[in-house]
Amino acid sequence: MAGLDILRRDLLRYWRNPIRTALLFAMPLVIAGVFALAFGGGGGDQISIKILLFDEDDSLLSRFLEGAGGSSQRDQKLEVVPVGEEGYEMMERGEASALIHLPQGFTTDFLDGTPTTIGVVKNPSERFLPKIVDEGARIGAVGLSEASRVFRAELAQIGDFTREEKFPADLAVAGLSSGVNNKLKGLERFLFPPVVTLESVSLRSEGGEEEDSDFNILAYVLPGFSVMGILFLAQSATRDILRDRESGLLRQLLTAPVSVNDYVGGKCLSVFAVTALGFALFVIIGLAAGIRWGPAPAVVALMLASALAAAGLLILIMSLVGSERQGDTLTTIVIIVSSMLGGAFMPVSQMPAFLTPISAATPVYWSTEGFAKLIIHGGGLGDIVLNLAVLSIVGAALMLIGALILKRKIERGAL
Amino acid sequence: MITVERLCKSFGSLAAVDDVSFSVNEGEIFGLLGPNGAGKTTSINMICGVLKPDGGRVVIGNKDIWLEPKAVKRTLGVVPQEIAVYEDLTARDNLNFWGSLYGLSGGDLKSRVDESLTTVGLTDRAGDRVKEFSGGMKRRLNLCMGLLHHPRVLLLDEPTIGIDPQARLNILEVVREVADGGTTVLYTTHYMEEAQELCDRIAIMDHGKILTVGTLDELTRLAGEAEVLRLTGDFDDPSIRDRLLALDGVRVLKVDDRIAVLSVEAGGPGLLEVLPRVLAADLGVEDVSIQQPNLQSVFISLTGKELRD
Repeated sequence: MAGLDILRRDLLRYWRNPIRTALLFAMPLVIAGVFALAFGGGGGDQISIKILLFDEDDSLLSRFLEGAGGSSQRDQKLEVVPVGEEGYEMMERGEASALIHLPQGFTTDFLDGTPTTIGVVKNPSERFLPKIVDEGARIGAVGLSEASRVFRAELAQIGDFTREEKFPADLAVAGLSSGVNNKLKGLERFLFPPVVTLESVSLRSEGGEEEDSDFNILAYVLPGFSVMGILFLAQSATRDILRDRESGLLRQLLTAPVSVNDYVGGKCLSVFAVTALGFALFVIIGLAAGIRWGPAPAVVALMLASALAAAGLLILIMSLVGSERQGDTLTTIVIIVSSMLGGAFMPVSQMPAFLTPISAATPVYWSTEGFAKLIIHGGGLGDIVLNLAVLSIVGAALMLIGALILKRKIERGAL
Repeated sequence: MITVERLCKSFGSLAAVDDVSFSVNEGEIFGLLGPNGAGKTTSINMICGVLKPDGGRVVIGNKDIWLEPKAVKRTLGVVPQEIAVYEDLTARDNLNFWGSLYGLSGGDLKSRVDESLTTVGLTDRAGDRVKEFSGGMKRRLNLCMGLLHHPRVLLLDEPTIGIDPQARLNILEVVREVADGGTTVLYTTHYMEEAQELCDRIAIMDHGKILTVGTLDELTRLAGEAEVLRLTGDFDDPSIRDRLLALDGVRVLKVDDRIAVLSVEAGGPGLLEVLPRVLAADLGVEDVSIQQPNLQSVFISLTGKELRD
């Protein structure tokens, strides 16, 4: 029962300190919000990239490129607006993510094999979206350059056709077709099947029907930052163990009918409960922001397992240090590093390959990966069994070891 | 009510408590008097079951605290030397938590909390966070936490350190009232005035050992003293010390470069005869004060040094 009294007291302390408690939650939420805003969206809004296309060439190729940018479903996320010179002024006013400039004679130069340039003007006030446009344009330029090298003769012939006033002779068209065909056959090995395939999966609605769900950037960043947030909550809760010692409260508690086991058990319970409740709050905030976390049982299970892992990790670290200052420094380093490595800031898939096994050694990885399965891939409880097992077993083991060390230190009078 | 037998505790090579034994009767206020570092807090920590002794045992109400810790601790109230309260909680929150640890709940807990707050005069501030309290108020709240569950034995470890005289008087008054109600009190202090005013019996402690135990009268008789002369002057010349030692009817308790403390021996010639001899001895005395025998002189006679040293 003393354990429950300690839990009640700790929760009351958070309640009596609303500013301190709010600050604990604010940091991960602010970082997640900044990330979401940097991507130009927030809440349930989808990402929309607005590109201005200044097409001075106004030819077949430039119109093809313009059409490619604004076709089918992409126009929900990519808006291509044809503009003239005024496009540069619009960029000055920050009205678009980027401006692509196709200069006059672009198609002719391309067909003739003369070096030409696609201009990209980026919006400096946005961080990521202009990069996407820049990379896209770069890939397009490389593709066009390679096509120009491979089909040099055929492109020159097409150029001749466009300059002739009369329609090309059937024989010339057949020769062109034959030449292109032969070269494509030579490239068949590389092009069919393609070396790289793209598989796009849409989230499913509750009814099971596939739908073109709005892309919510918070759904990508909030789970990771929530995990980091609960690590900081666990840090705050475990810090009290050292504060109890340094303030004399631990000694005072042990004069009451409270055994060392009661105290350590109560603190473990309290750290876990505070962490789990904190995570629940992050989930509620995510729901309010339009995140579909996934099936409730799976989310609750993953939340609890993540809280256990966070509590276990922090209790173990705090059991090893000698003072509050030492504990704060060490735990802050561990939280930041494990959050970065575990995928709280960016997906693990974007990191160098050698970091992958290190990432998998952090609870943050198993938690964020689990939430990605639920949120991004529409998975359920069955898909996160491994994540739940790793987080629960490792969390319980770390907590047990930490608790034993704390007990030993208290009994020896070292704490 | 409290029996301490041959208690020992060492930290490395330092013997913090060395073979300490004493007993406290039911309803008695027993003082443990000694300078800082004498071993009082270490003793209290072992008596209340927080620090395991290297040797010896502590029996409270016929139960060994290390064999039946929870049962004994339910009868104990402890007020520590350092203020141990949750500053971010209100006074009532602190007391509610503390009471719950002793199994109090509901209306019983509320009435005990109200009663304790009234006893220490904090009723008006019950809903305020402790961080807004003065040092004296925090001390009184700390005392409140020790009294909440109506303990049979109250252990107070220097509970008046660092507080104003008014708060100190209030605490001493509460301790007297608690003892009048039948609670056994073990009170450690290095203020001899507190021990003299409050305690029925006193143990004088230094360097981890109990030097003597008794009532105030017994202790002063034990030292065999009447009045105490405290001389101020220039006493660094060894010959002056020799002359001091040669004086009839006095006992030199202490002498250093500036201070000499002499006790007039009981049954001897008496102060009126001794004082002129001292002044006529050409010792270079600049000032003389005369004190009735007290714990200070007892302590000096036992250790050769003053309590504040």
